Amino acid sequence: MPQLVNEKARIVSNEQVGPRLHVMVLESPQIARDIKPGQFVHMKVPGAESHVLRRPFSIYARDAAAGIVEILYQEVGSLTSFMPGIGEGFAELIGPVGNAWAGPALYAEGACSHALIVGGGVGAAPLFMLVEQLVSAGCATDVVLGAQTKDALVTCGRYEALLGREPIVATDDGTYGYAGFCTVPVAERLRDGSTADGAPYDYVAVCGPEPLMKIVAGQAAEAGVKCQVSMEKRMACGIGACLSCVVDTVSGKKRSCVDGPVFDASEVVW
Amino acid sequence: MVAKPRETSVKLAVDLGGLAMKNPVTVASGTFAAGREYADFVDVASLGAVTTKGVSLNGWEGNASPRIAETPSGMLNSIGLQNPGVEHLKEHELPWLRTVGATTIVNVSGHSFGEYVDVIESLEGTGLVDAYEINISCPNVDAGGMTIGTDPRSVEQVVGMCRAATKLPMIVKLTPNVTDITEIARAAEAAGADALSLINTLLGMAIDARTRRPQLARVVGGLSGPAVKPVALRLVWETSKAVKVPLLGMGGIATGTDAIEFMLAGACAVAVGTANFTNPTATVDVLNGMIDYCEQQGVANINELIGALQC
Ligand SMILES: Cc1cc2nc3c(=O)[nH]c(=O)nc-3n(C[C@H](O)[C@H](O)[C@H](O)COP(=O)(O)OP(=O)(O)OC[C@H]3O[C@@H](n4cnc5c(N)ncnc54)[C@H](O)[C@@H]3O)c2cc1C
Ligand SMILES: Cc1cc2nc3c(=O)[nH]c(=O)nc-3n(C[C@H](O)[C@H](O)[C@H](O)COP(=O)(O)O)c2cc1C
Ligand code: FES
Repeated sequence: MPQLVNEKARIVSNEQVGPRLHVMVLESPQIARDIKPGQFVHMKVPGAESHVLRRPFSIYARDAAAGIVEILYQEVGSLTSFMPGIGEGFAELIGPVGNAWAGPALYAEGACSHALIVGGGVGAAPLFMLVEQLVSAGCATDVVLGAQTKDALVTCGRYEALLGREPIVATDDGTYGYAGFCTVPVAERLRDGSTADGAPYDYVAVCGPEPLMKIVAGQAAEAGVKCQVSMEKRMACGIGACLSCVVDTVSGKKRSCVDGPVFDASEVVW
Repeated sequence: MVAKPRETSVKLAVDLGGLAMKNPVTVASGTFAAGREYADFVDVASLGAVTTKGVSLNGWEGNASPRIAETPSGMLNSIGLQNPGVEHLKEHELPWLRTVGATTIVNVSGHSFGEYVDVIESLEGTGLVDAYEINISCPNVDAGGMTIGTDPRSVEQVVGMCRAATKLPMIVKLTPNVTDITEIARAAEAAGADALSLINTLLGMAIDARTRRPQLARVVGGLSGPAVKPVALRLVWETSKAVKVPLLGMGGIATGTDAIEFMLAGACAVAVGTANFTNPTATVDVLNGMIDYCEQQGVANINELIGALQC
């Protein structure tokens, strides 16, 4: 396993991009250089000394040359609601933690040529670097994004620029794209095949709320397509030492921080 | 970059009931696995000792998830002593600690009195262990653990059985979840403990009012972190007055000053637990902070501080 670092990372910017959604840009040269799609950082949030635990965040985008990483975060609880108020300062990032999405390696081996990437809510963030790699390698890649409402579709523009076309979108309230959960367009795509040439998919990656991942995993299994999910569990150490973050799998409990966060959907006991 | 303690002329070595430690800092069992995960951050061999995660004879699955919840200046855990069993520890973890030259304390747990002895027997003669820490205080298991550690007669019995199984230094880990810890401490001492460690976690719970559900799948769990430090200090101080054997103090230690406070209260050595999660170099940072204190206060030998509280 490559060396983990605890990098002191200057906060370059921290801006609201949607309802309860923010992007934090951090200067973290080693992590920016080494991180792979799917891996995450374990962040010590500055100015929150009464919080003993770090928080895990995926990397939304990185610029290795400039040494910066971006995190897309949603306010869900105490620290993510505190974070928007942070101005200048330094966070500490342990990283790069965990394993990577298998898509690019499968493509290189010839085991994947048509990928379907499904992101629900902020789950769209950890998939962006994956889609970047798949697209630049030449893999036919379709992206389905789900959000509660149109304003929350904050990653859509970036995906559009990358793909050269709009991703397939569903909103719970029907304010944009398909009305309802993104499992509806996912079912359509699995039935009709890749938008590039109608060929069946051979790789599905999904990240988002657990119920969504479970449904998509079931849909992919039914279609006979390899599917990977990224499991988000509460984490204490974030480096494999404390067993806080275990996921039930067919081969027993595994640590989502270092044995994951990416798991084969067929391995997970939901 | 791997953190190491800095050079100093302060004498840091302590003797914890026959266990020679090059300095007073070890880790709290269960927060550091068997050291390897932290090797990217700290030189584990430079610590006074590495204390491994609780091990039982055969593997334990542990409790359901969620297993942790953050609380003000602390956290609750209900890991439930998940471990792959003593054979795995012997084959895959302890040899690595030997290779890097770490002093090793193995934390022993069991469902029954006999299981503690079985674990010790399977480790005896391997040369992989420098001391045992007998965990009779885990609040997260239904059998064994804390149910043993709250009754002086059970404590005497299980500690006596472990004593008969080994000549290595034996530390007995006490629970704070009792009315009078000195009674339990005396029972452990009488049964042959070479040292006592305290505190294990305090039983607590956390509730999500919005969903009206407990935050932990097991409902209750063990509280650790800076929030428990005042309780831990009080228990170390009371215990130090009740027994002659040395104490390994822990509970919320995050800085060198915290550690010094435990020594003043009567601890001979200290363990860093939850702080490792906040700061992966916490162990070495604590040690360096202790060195700073000694140098600033003109303390030539850290043993001078043990029980030096002036009341
Ligand atoms: C590998 C990984 C990558 C992640 N990437 C991102 C990301 O890119 N963007 C983002 O916004 N969030 C991400 N998360 C989730 C993020 O870590 C949590 O939202 C955050 O820890 C909540 O902190 P809090 O203090 O606001 O919430 P708390 O006050 O601690 O808890 C509030 C609520 O959040 C839930 N929660 C707490 N920790 C987690 C967790 N680790 N995962 C899921 N729910 C949790 C709790 O169960 C509770 O319901 C990721 C989680 C993991 C494990
Ligand atoms: C996640 C976690 C796991 C633990 N596992 C064990 C264990 O296996 N055996 C044990 O004796 N104590 C265990 N403990 C208790 C600690 O060793 C220590 O006694 C307690 O956490 C207080 O110290 P702290 O506040 O520095 O963490 C665990 C604590 C935590 C937080
Ligand atoms: S968070 Fe500690 S093992 Fe995964």
